[in-house]
Amino acid sequence: MRSLSDKTERFLLGTLGVVALFVFWEYAANHNIINVAVTTSPSRIVVAFVAQWQSGDLLGDLRVSLGEFAVGFLLSLVIGVALGIAMGMSRMVEYATDPFIWFLYSAPLIALYPLIVVWLGFGYTTVVAVTFLLTVVSIIVNTMAGVHSVEPVLVRAVQAFGGNYRAVVTKVILPASVPLIVAGVRIGLGRALLGVVLGEMFSSNAGLGFRVSYYAGRLRTADVFVALIVLILIGLATDQLCKQIEARLQAWRA
Amino acid sequence: MTLAIGTTRRPALSLRRAARPVIGTAAVASFLILWQIVGANEIIRSDLISYPSEIAETFVAMSLSGELGRNVLATLGEFVQGFIPACLFGIACGLAFALSRRLRYLTAPLFAALYSAPMIAFVPIIVVWFGVGRDSKIAMVFLAGVVPIIINTATGVNEVSESWVRAVRAFGAGKWQIITKAILPGALPAVMAGIRLGVGRAIVSLVAAEMYVSILGIGRLIQVYSNSGRAAEIFVLVGVVSVFGLGCVMALRSLERYLAPWRAER
Amino acid sequence: MSHLVVENLRLAYPNAADHGGFLALEDVNFQIGDGEFVTIVGPSGCGKSTLLMLIAALLKPNTGSISLNGTPVATPGPDRALVFQDFALLPWRTVLKNVELGLELKGMGAEERHEVARKYVSMVGLRAFENHYPHQLSGGMRQRVGIARALSVAPEILLMDEPFGALDAQIRQVMGSELLRIWERDRKTILFVTHDIDEAIYLADRVIVMSASPGRVVREIKIPLPRPRGLDIRNSPEFAAFRHEIWTLLEEQVRSSGSWEQSE
Repeated sequence: MRSLSDKTERFLLGTLGVVALFVFWEYAANHNIINVAVTTSPSRIVVAFVAQWQSGDLLGDLRVSLGEFAVGFLLSLVIGVALGIAMGMSRMVEYATDPFIWFLYSAPLIALYPLIVVWLGFGYTTVVAVTFLLTVVSIIVNTMAGVHSVEPVLVRAVQAFGGNYRAVVTKVILPASVPLIVAGVRIGLGRALLGVVLGEMFSSNAGLGFRVSYYAGRLRTADVFVALIVLILIGLATDQLCKQIEARLQAWRA
Repeated sequence: MTLAIGTTRRPALSLRRAARPVIGTAAVASFLILWQIVGANEIIRSDLISYPSEIAETFVAMSLSGELGRNVLATLGEFVQGFIPACLFGIACGLAFALSRRLRYLTAPLFAALYSAPMIAFVPIIVVWFGVGRDSKIAMVFLAGVVPIIINTATGVNEVSESWVRAVRAFGAGKWQIITKAILPGALPAVMAGIRLGVGRAIVSLVAAEMYVSILGIGRLIQVYSNSGRAAEIFVLVGVVSVFGLGCVMALRSLERYLAPWRAER
Repeated sequence: MSHLVVENLRLAYPNAADHGGFLALEDVNFQIGDGEFVTIVGPSGCGKSTLLMLIAALLKPNTGSISLNGTPVATPGPDRALVFQDFALLPWRTVLKNVELGLELKGMGAEERHEVARKYVSMVGLRAFENHYPHQLSGGMRQRVGIARALSVAPEILLMDEPFGALDAQIRQVMGSELLRIWERDRKTILFVTHDIDEAIYLADRVIVMSASPGRVVREIKIPLPRPRGLDIRNSPEFAAFRHEIWTLLEEQVRSSGSWEQSE
């Protein structure tokens, strides 16, 4: 092992860890060390996955969840960046909106969801709204921090060459804020996925979040794990994507 | 603090200090007044949005009947029973991961998965495993809280400056003393940040688990009142959960100030 | 053929608790001829940087006027290009893209400004680094980018605000002679602020000496040393005489008003 590069070692050991977990799980389930009905086993999960795939159920749930995820997230990205820049550039706007943003940030919005159901009804709209509310705050807060991190001398440089307000925003404020916005997006994506699951679990009859609870209620644990693993993979994939973008942005940072 | 854009100079310092609370309070006050007017006069149906004075009355009524106290205590108990083990186990585990590279690499994908997964998706399976009672809530708090504590402790310990370790070692410290005198204090800020993250995740997961199925607790109350469509009660409960979260944050902050007085933080 | 005319300039920071109702500049008058290289030297707090900000129109004076070629200066514009002490390069742009900034703001098309920017990047000797990011460059190289950016917009006058103040003493001298080499080509009008007496004499046709609190012009000294100037000119007796004259003027200031070059 000594001769392996760090990267290879990391990869091999990581794979080994996952494989070992599944092997142990399978062994324990098949030898009655754990109760299969409750814990299921990797092979049963694979069988359930194939069945869900062939019936089209999985694809349908995936489509619903990803659709809500995309709409909720994009809405919060656009509105969050716009609001964040406005708050970052104007003290009046910042001071006036700060208490509300702070409340949304610290209040567990999960407690608020029943009201959103009352206002927007059961299903798609509510899920998107919950996703939006959970996501938008982290993007606003980070965008604002990004604007505050801009060095005033850079703004002055653009003004000195005759740049107007718009040039200041597009040539300095926006690009300078990008790293912090992306960091906000990374937090936001995690919260958006949480919002989708939350909305679907409690106020919808479609999507992966709904399935997790639906199958659990019928003790179909293998099916629960199929939906759960797909959700975990979505979370991992979006997070990795953001990491890649962040790494690329490092090019100009010391 | 705020970017001075344009050619004008910043206003006087005293003026700036005063502006934030004044404008903030004014904005909140006008929001509450508007809400009161719109709700109390049924401009929008008050059973949908309620209004501040009704919420205040509901809060008093729920407190006096003992309904609130009973459920808050239940939730609080579950939280404490799940979170304290999460802290202890998380720090120990994080320390082990930091000190053994192999162990860290072995478990990295699993923890990455647990970290980026939406925690509340685990609620139904945890209920299957631990039943509908308190145990499943405690397990949920533990699971949601422990992951960021482990990850942050491991990262924090890894980033402890070599020079501190060298300084302690230069004076003849053994392995255990290096851990207690250089590594743990050095990693403390990162550990505390992990605990703060964990608190947030744990509260959300706990309330979700109680909402999903339970006998007692704030989450159960939320579910009960949402089924009967009572906006005022739900706002009271939103407030209670917020105060609960805020209390945790403040407690952590004073703990950090006590443990790490050398860090001049805000 | 006066080019830049500054008349009766006064600037006070009125309400600033951090400035204490501070009078930064009072009754400042001077003129700069076309193609002249003028340096301003003075103690900390004499408002010499503020003066540049006023000429760039990033600040507005309480009273007085500034005109360039007979036109009053009202808004910032590329006819007066600033070079900043802390470089003020956009960190997410490469060298070439940084030089293009001013041209972009002028509304020049992509292809043309690319060409113009390359010309100025070569002029300051950074051809090989045009695709580097600022953090990959040394301080001296960064300021070369700042100078190229300012020259690229073909300004009427170059305003340099302690451009070498953040550099080591050695690099500072090299950058000074580099600047003269570039300036000898087209003799652009330059107003250069510094607190380094040697630098002020070495570069200038004329040195304006300022006093502190409030900032005022104390004396204008012509420097008729022959050009082109080598670095060894600093050892000549004439140079020493100018150094002595300016040092004596400034020494009184320092004695009467406190320290030399604290934070400005």
